[in-house]
Amino acid sequence: MSRRRRRKSQEEVELNLAAMLDMAFQLLTFFILTFKPAPVEGQVNLRLPPPTPVLQKGQQRDIGEMAPKEGEVPKGVSTLVITLNNNIQSRDPGKALSYTIGELGEGSTVGTLDQLNNKLQSIFSNPVNPFEQVIIQVPSRVRYDELMKVVDVFTRQKMPGDKKLSLSFVELPQTEVPAK
Amino acid sequence: MSELESSSGKPNLTPILDMVFQLITFFMLVMNFKAAALDTSLRLPVVGSARAVDAQGQVSLLILNITKEGNLNVYGQSRTVESYIAGEAQAELLAARQKNPKLQPGDELPTTVVIRADRGTEYHMVHRVIEACQQHGFRNFALKALNREEG
Repeated sequence: MSRRRRRKSQEEVELNLAAMLDMAFQLLTFFILTFKPAPVEGQVNLRLPPPTPVLQKGQQRDIGEMAPKEGEVPKGVSTLVITLNNNIQSRDPGKALSYTIGELGEGSTVGTLDQLNNKLQSIFSNPVNPFEQVIIQVPSRVRYDELMKVVDVFTRQKMPGDKKLSLSFVELPQTEVPAK
Repeated sequence: MSELESSSGKPNLTPILDMVFQLITFFMLVMNFKAAALDTSLRLPVVGSARAVDAQGQVSLLILNITKEGNLNVYGQSRTVESYIAGEAQAELLAARQKNPKLQPGDELPTTVVIRADRGTEYHMVHRVIEACQQHGFRNFALKALNREEG
């Protein structure tokens, strides 16, 4: 018995690993070539209720009221409207040129996102902030990333007492919308 | 000296094979198989406040890719917005009814709609998709964005 074992160990079966190595290198090459790390994507989580019609001034008081002045709380105001303004005649109709806080043509208009940020900060830092929902009105030709910039500014705001405002997007129809 | 003489000149390939297999294992593990549902050709908007994906709990997701031209792409195929969302809503409703049998068509669905839209998409195209989702009972949305500009 011991003799047989010794003979077996002396024979030493050798596996040819070269072929396996070739295959392994091929697999490795494939994985290296197809390796493309996905960019780190973040997301903005929103709860978007169904769209509600935006009424023009005079029809409803709730929509589009101006931000309250210091120490003054208008009754019945619950919605803050932020409107993106673009110019469809310009070379880049998708760019938001200014932002209006309040009703169309009535609210205060700011030109940059920083100014919008400051304005919203002053509104939301008011401890008697009466707003319960925010509507962002977006002209139909404006680019998606312009809207996301405003959403970014909005989500950065700190509400007193961690109050949560609901957010809705409303499309402002514009002429010259290309036929689908 | 004696060892060298006894060796037949064949290199020992076992360590290199081990190493190669380890590398293969690494690349297989880091390969992103979920990427099939994502249209990587889209240029997502850059939003600094975008949070990392929070995968707490088993949340069902409906991933919608919207190209710059306004096409809805799902797994690389262009779909019609209304019919695709209606079909998905039907399927999600059936799945949600297993937990809550009282759910009716149009009621709020527990699914989160993940919108991956190109940054250059005109808003009315995105709005069409959001509106269709809202009509079919989707309320929770996740708008995908990059934290910072790539490259």
